[in-house]
Amino acid sequence: MADVDDGAAAPVSEPLDLVRLCLDEVVFVKLRGDRELKGRLHAYDSHCNLVLGDVEETVYVVEEDEDEDGDETVKTIHKKSEMLFVRGQ
Amino acid sequence: MSFFGFDSTLPRDRGHNTRAPGFSQAADPFAGPRPEDDDDALDFEDTYDGLGNQLDEMDDVFNDDTFGDDAGPVTKKPVGKDFDFFGQTAKVSDAINEEQLRFSRQAPSSRGTPTASTFPQPLPKPARTGYERYKEPDYVPDMEVDASLWGVAPKRPAQAPTVGSPVNPVIPAGGRKMMSLEEVEASMRAQAKKPAQPQQPIQQQQSAPQQYTQPPQQRYHDYQPQHQHQQFSQPQQLPFQASGPPREEPRPAHAGQPHQPVQIMQRSQPTPTQPIAPTAPSQPTQILQNPNRYSAEQHRSAPAVQHPVQHPGHQSRPSGSRHIITHPQQLANLSDEERAAFLMEDAKRAKRNHKIFLLSKDNGLMTPQDKNFITRIQLQQLVTATGNPNEHGSDPSLSEDFYYQVHNQIRGGPRQHPGQPLSNFAQTYLFQTGGRHAGMRRQARGGDNHMQRMEQQVQRAVEAAKNKPKNKQLVIEGSLGKISFSNAKTPKPLLNIKRSDSAADAQRPSSGVRDRKVHQGGVSGSDRKTVLTDIENVYSTLMQLEDHERLMPPPLDNDDVNPELAGFHIDWREKEEKLNRKLWRDLKVHEPIGATTTHPFIAFLSFSKGKKCIPRVFRHITQEQRTTILTIIVIHLDHLDVVRQGLLQPGETQLNSATRENIELFSLAVTHTLFGYLNEVGLDIVTGLLGLILNINIDVIARTRIGVSMLTMLLSRAELIKQAGSNEREWDQWVGIYNAFFDALEPTLPNIFPGTVNTGEDVYVWQFLAAIGIGASPEQQQRLVMAVKDRVMETVAHAKTLPTAMSSQRLANVNLFMRSIGLDVELLA
Amino acid sequence: MIAASPPHPTTSSSTTTKPLQHPSQSFQDAVLQVSASLTPSSALVGLLLILQSLNSFFKTLVDHEVTVELKNDIQIKGTLKSVDQYLNIKLDDIQVVEELKYPHLSSVKNVFIRGSVVRYVHLPGGAVDTALLEDATRREAAQQAQKTK
Repeated sequence: MADVDDGAAAPVSEPLDLVRLCLDEVVFVKLRGDRELKGRLHAYDSHCNLVLGDVEETVYVVEEDEDEDGDETVKTIHKKSEMLFVRGQ
Repeated sequence: MSFFGFDSTLPRDRGHNTRAPGFSQAADPFAGPRPEDDDDALDFEDTYDGLGNQLDEMDDVFNDDTFGDDAGPVTKKPVGKDFDFFGQTAKVSDAINEEQLRFSRQAPSSRGTPTASTFPQPLPKPARTGYERYKEPDYVPDMEVDASLWGVAPKRPAQAPTVGSPVNPVIPAGGRKMMSLEEVEASMRAQAKKPAQPQQPIQQQQSAPQQYTQPPQQRYHDYQPQHQHQQFSQPQQLPFQASGPPREEPRPAHAGQPHQPVQIMQRSQPTPTQPIAPTAPSQPTQILQNPNRYSAEQHRSAPAVQHPVQHPGHQSRPSGSRHIITHPQQLANLSDEERAAFLMEDAKRAKRNHKIFLLSKDNGLMTPQDKNFITRIQLQQLVTATGNPNEHGSDPSLSEDFYYQVHNQIRGGPRQHPGQPLSNFAQTYLFQTGGRHAGMRRQARGGDNHMQRMEQQVQRAVEAAKNKPKNKQLVIEGSLGKISFSNAKTPKPLLNIKRSDSAADAQRPSSGVRDRKVHQGGVSGSDRKTVLTDIENVYSTLMQLEDHERLMPPPLDNDDVNPELAGFHIDWREKEEKLNRKLWRDLKVHEPIGATTTHPFIAFLSFSKGKKCIPRVFRHITQEQRTTILTIIVIHLDHLDVVRQGLLQPGETQLNSATRENIELFSLAVTHTLFGYLNEVGLDIVTGLLGLILNINIDVIARTRIGVSMLTMLLSRAELIKQAGSNEREWDQWVGIYNAFFDALEPTLPNIFPGTVNTGEDVYVWQFLAAIGIGASPEQQQRLVMAVKDRVMETVAHAKTLPTAMSSQRLANVNLFMRSIGLDVELLA
Repeated sequence: MIAASPPHPTTSSSTTTKPLQHPSQSFQDAVLQVSASLTPSSALVGLLLILQSLNSFFKTLVDHEVTVELKNDIQIKGTLKSVDQYLNIKLDDIQVVEELKYPHLSSVKNVFIRGSVVRYVHLPGGAVDTALLEDATRREAAQQAQKTK
């Protein structure tokens, strides 16, 4: 237990402390593989494993147009999940 | 018909009953010792090269798995003497020799030249192969084949050693004997991974004296099926076969055989093989699959090896059952030593190759670390499942496993100590209103509960007023005699809260619309981090307080004052007060009002986690501090995000979902808590709070759900206090404030309903109107009716178009108000 | 790499066609079956520990139905049986979400999933106590902060 008298018990000193401030807040997470998550942060750990609630996932998929050679269109896929564990790394 | 493809047309065989099990020949030439032939027998000890000792026997505990049964009849039946390698050898070796000679005499040339294919080739379709039972799901290898397998010799006179090829001197010697040799070999190969098998001789030696009284059938039963499987599975084990002796390669007739045994063997053979992994993790790996297995396996395997159970029945012994010679090694003894040596070497090579094959097959798939993972999972599961009573609830285990422990207590998970009351933690989270049962998603329900309670309170007030109208009237008349409505004095503030009201008033925007616009963006960016930090600090302190709560020393005994215990109490209280002061600082309730755009505590409440912590905070603060918080909230009622954003803009019929969720949360977490607190306070405080509201923008408050809820709370509380009896002076003050409030509210009354009549989300407004109506004077009631008359009529008309249930619900809502002023919707009909 | 094992003989009646076998053997077989479907690199990804609070969290989800989404997009729905600190996951009674697209797992009943190939685990929201979980996270953050001091 931290000393009662040292003012702020856990000063915001490192990046993960900023994450702590976002607990129970809606956060926006960018993942590898052109994925984005928006959801309420319920848990995290030092590896950035996350637990998000009411998540909206957006996946950006690049598709090559068949008719026009070389042209690419970005398609977005939206998914929802009520509670999601995201593996960090 | 011969199972292994020997010439089945031998005269002696023609009469054989093909329905009999695969090797079923009644007479068993090896069955009994023939002392008269006791000449040049090879002793097992001479031929045994200690091969088995080199084998890894770690995994023979899985034999039962491999052989398809656990603790079934197999292990319960007695071990026969068939595998009594040592003990029986001496007795039987002479008989073997005798039989060998006899075979050669009986059918010296009937076998013809043995070819490679002759030996193991099974006949295309034996009427009964002896494997049928393997197909049965509950196969138990106490087969009749056992006895006959070794006992076929008399029916096979052709099996004489006279026709031996140089390579395979044994093979032509006779199907039976060859069979046995093959089995020895096959079993060795098959058991390359199954060390139990080669170990067998050692076992037998150790228990030799005992063996004499124990029919060795057991071992025979155990291993017999394996031998047979091996015979047929070999062709499929390609790497192995390639290195095997040439005579084994061609097995054209094999396809005709049932495949089931093959599959069994293929599956089960590598079973105990964990070539890469150290043996230690292998068992925990198994636990993973079924925690019960571990102990069960150990139990099972031990008796199976050490204490073969007697097999009393063994009904299937062939007729004229002399003592059966079942020992493969004994058969090997029949041949000369070269052949034995060759076979041994062959078996060794085969075993090695097979082992290499098996090793390479799974190379690198699972590292020891992989297995350790599994072990650890399993151990964790076990620890969790069993729990450690000593550690349970203790600080180390709680801090390591906080979520699980508390969650289990809340959700009624397996309580390891049913008598133990819920820990303080569990209470904290159980009664906390943060969405206990489904997180954020079900808060609407919690809000409904809260609204129901509010409704009940209003209803109680209405009913009480209605039940004794005359009496009440008289009482009121009596009271009114002293109080002049028309001469209502300016109420004096009853709350003595240190704050700079003037500064706040100066800063506060006067117009609700403007107010909303100014604060629309909520807390600004830089503030946001500050506020979030504040909130996290509050949570941090809260958890310290909750931890501290658990450390409370046992209550002091009044009679026997224990100085040490008293000391603990003093220390504990000191610490608690320290933490309380810290919490109070963290809450920033005492920050000067107006120093910032939004008061820190109000900004605090604009975050959902800020709202959620209020119930927990209230558990740890004093009554005075609670009053202060309630006051701060009431003063800033029009600053609350839920009020600012809770106003419907012109044209809007519904708030956006985020705002509605926010309002639900506030209602559940904050209003609910304040409601509970307010039900304990006196009329002076209620009057004071309503007086504070007079200073702020009632128009904004009365058009939002949270604002209306707060007002309803205050009004209905005042009414209940009045009915319970209050002193007149206080009541006078209340009435004065009430009148001022009514005057301020009246212009807003027509706009008080949210949306149109169709939305039906106006229950709280009817409650509010009822709360106003109870306390209103007849003249005020008149004004009240005038203000909301249209909505009443609309709702009644609309209710007629609705289904009965909905209709009556809507009418009941209206009636809540109507009854408070002594009317009923039925009067309107 | 994930591994799928045929049902255990004592727990499933649907396996009569399969011989009884040693548990670890079935496990190894299953490794062979499924590992081919995964990219080799995914098996080489370094191991990642999940910390106490998340491990504690997952323990409460045992016997709940979850959907594990792998990095190769396969989603496996099943009853959570165990999770370790590497997020290795064991699921029972599994069903592949897009069964037609990934038919190779259709006969598999139980799987062991190596943590490194997991992208998401979809959890039943009702089984999660978010307030408690947030506090558990705060506690752990405080502990971590203590350690680094």
